[in-house]
Amino acid sequence: MPSRISAPQKSLSKDAFKVELITEGITVIIGLVILAVLYYLDNRFAWKEWIGWCLHGLLVIGVIATIWSFVEPYFLYKSWRYDIDEDFLQMKFGVITEKHFLVPMTKIQAVSTKQGPILRKYGLYTISIKTMGSSHEIPGLPGDVASQLREQIAHYAKLKEVE
Amino acid sequence: MMEAKRYHPLTILFDLIIQVEHLFFPALILFVFNHDSTNAFITYGRIVFYIYVGGMLAYLFLKWVSYKYRLDDTAFHLYEGIFTKTKQTVPFSKIQNVNRHTTLLHRIFKVTSIRFETGMVGDDSRVEFTVISVNEADRLEAHTKQAVRLEIEPEAEGKEGESSEEIGTLHTTPERVIHFTPTKKEIIKASFTSLSFLGMITLLIWAYFKLTEYIDVEEQVVGIYSLIMSSWIWITLTAVGLLVLSIIFGMVTTYIRYGKYEISSDHDRIYIAKGVIEETTFSIAKERVQAIKIKQSLLKRMLGLAEVKLTVVGGDSDSDKDKQDVSSLYPFLPIKRAYEMIAEILPAYEVTEKMTSLPRKSLWVRLVRSSWIWLIGTGALFYFKPNIWGWEQAWWVISIALTLIILVFEVIEFYNTRYTLNDHFIQFQTGSLTTTLYISKREKIIEVNVKRGLMQKQLGLASIKTVNRAKPVSHRGVTDVPIELAEGFYQWYMGRRKEIKVK
Repeated sequence: MPSRISAPQKSLSKDAFKVELITEGITVIIGLVILAVLYYLDNRFAWKEWIGWCLHGLLVIGVIATIWSFVEPYFLYKSWRYDIDEDFLQMKFGVITEKHFLVPMTKIQAVSTKQGPILRKYGLYTISIKTMGSSHEIPGLPGDVASQLREQIAHYAKLKEVE
Repeated sequence: MMEAKRYHPLTILFDLIIQVEHLFFPALILFVFNHDSTNAFITYGRIVFYIYVGGMLAYLFLKWVSYKYRLDDTAFHLYEGIFTKTKQTVPFSKIQNVNRHTTLLHRIFKVTSIRFETGMVGDDSRVEFTVISVNEADRLEAHTKQAVRLEIEPEAEGKEGESSEEIGTLHTTPERVIHFTPTKKEIIKASFTSLSFLGMITLLIWAYFKLTEYIDVEEQVVGIYSLIMSSWIWITLTAVGLLVLSIIFGMVTTYIRYGKYEISSDHDRIYIAKGVIEETTFSIAKERVQAIKIKQSLLKRMLGLAEVKLTVVGGDSDSDKDKQDVSSLYPFLPIKRAYEMIAEILPAYEVTEKMTSLPRKSLWVRLVRSSWIWLIGTGALFYFKPNIWGWEQAWWVISIALTLIILVFEVIEFYNTRYTLNDHFIQFQTGSLTTTLYISKREKIIEVNVKRGLMQKQLGLASIKTVNRAKPVSHRGVTDVPIELAEGFYQWYMGRRKEIKVK
């Protein structure tokens, strides 16, 4: 959106979308397994008819979600931009709905990096930022970038406003 | 500086009263309903009861002996715990607002309760004195204010270049100005606006059901009913009588709630006092006010009244004690007076009466968005085809009614939505039947965001949102504003870097 404003420039690591893809893939598989079990039980115990209809509905939603979960990570990764300066943290992301966040540095209360097993495989970190009223995450940053960004934000956020 | 002090001895009595309330029913069961029972459960129950009461009395006494508080120049020091001791320090500079609540019981003993709210999360978010002498409460409040003032003063001096003498006189004799106390006429108006006269009807119904529980009044009621219906004179008399009674009832309840309202302010604080039987006072430093809300229900809009509320960090309505919002200025202010008063008590805020409306295209976006509700509703109606009063066609009539209702609400909301962006303020009005005008200063907003959905992108619209400190955190915004405004809004917020003061 910001045509006249300096839009955030920095993007995530190229591997970030692979991580997202794997995470989504695992979720989808778990979902489909649960659905398969339900179908089996429905068949085995001859549940009421409307339950069968609900399961069909879930299957349709499941298929759409599966397709979406293969497409979305790439576009989400493409859309992600962030930037910091000494006053603000800017974030922009979203495939269908585009979201822009503007967080003053002085309002940031905690910043940390974290890493799950899939992120670790690619040597990536997620930065999580807590303010007085909300929390944000920047997913999938390479190790050195992440720790540098964390230090930078911590440094800028050290200054506190007079309330 | 002072020595660590115990809390007021009457604290024991007040705690005891709460305990008695809790123990009333168990005691009733154990000693009254089963007073000559030899059942083992009852016997053991009584033993447990005695042990509990003994333990509780000992606990309350020990608590009074060991819990202490101390004030120094900058903070409260609270010493808590009987066996495990904890010490808590709450700096005065963290105090957001001060609430006093004087119940009937407090008034009998000429004491009060006082609460210093901080914006922190969790149990330690407040310093509370459940029973305290009025003098001591005044002293504490004055002390905390004085301490914070001393902290701020050197800066203020440097910034504004006032002579220290001026500041001295200003601060030692802060002149309290009373901005508002309701007149009789205003109470009457309020009693009608709040529909409190309807309370009489609920009271009557409640009384009737309570009565039938104990005595059989049905026959008498039927008798009275047929007597009333027997002649026109009786009908008119009863109707007039009931009407007068409920109006009086409404006025009395309104008077009890809003009668002794007083909004006042001095150089740096706002004070709100209210309540005829139970007194509640609220005070907040002006610079702690995060935002202002002006709320108007449909009825209030028609009568030109409004409620002004202050958004504050230290929450106020989360305890059962005061369900009424203490941070509300009088809820039935004439709208003109409301605007004037904001200018008087919060000169840092400017309310602009002229605001921009939404473009026509955002109405379409809103209608399309809400059509989902209609689609699902109609789908469900079509599937189930509910049979209402033996009428099979009911489903499509309901569907059309649903459509109309959604349409009307969306259109009303569309026309009510307005916004404006000033130098240091953002101001927007939203809501369909009840409208809320929200005004916040740029420096008080802690975060902003802009979102654009698929349809909004096509039509050049966006949704803007501000986040303010409050309890819980307050997210407020306008949907479907023109993209140019959203851009301006982003830039406007970035401009805060020029005006904030950094420690």
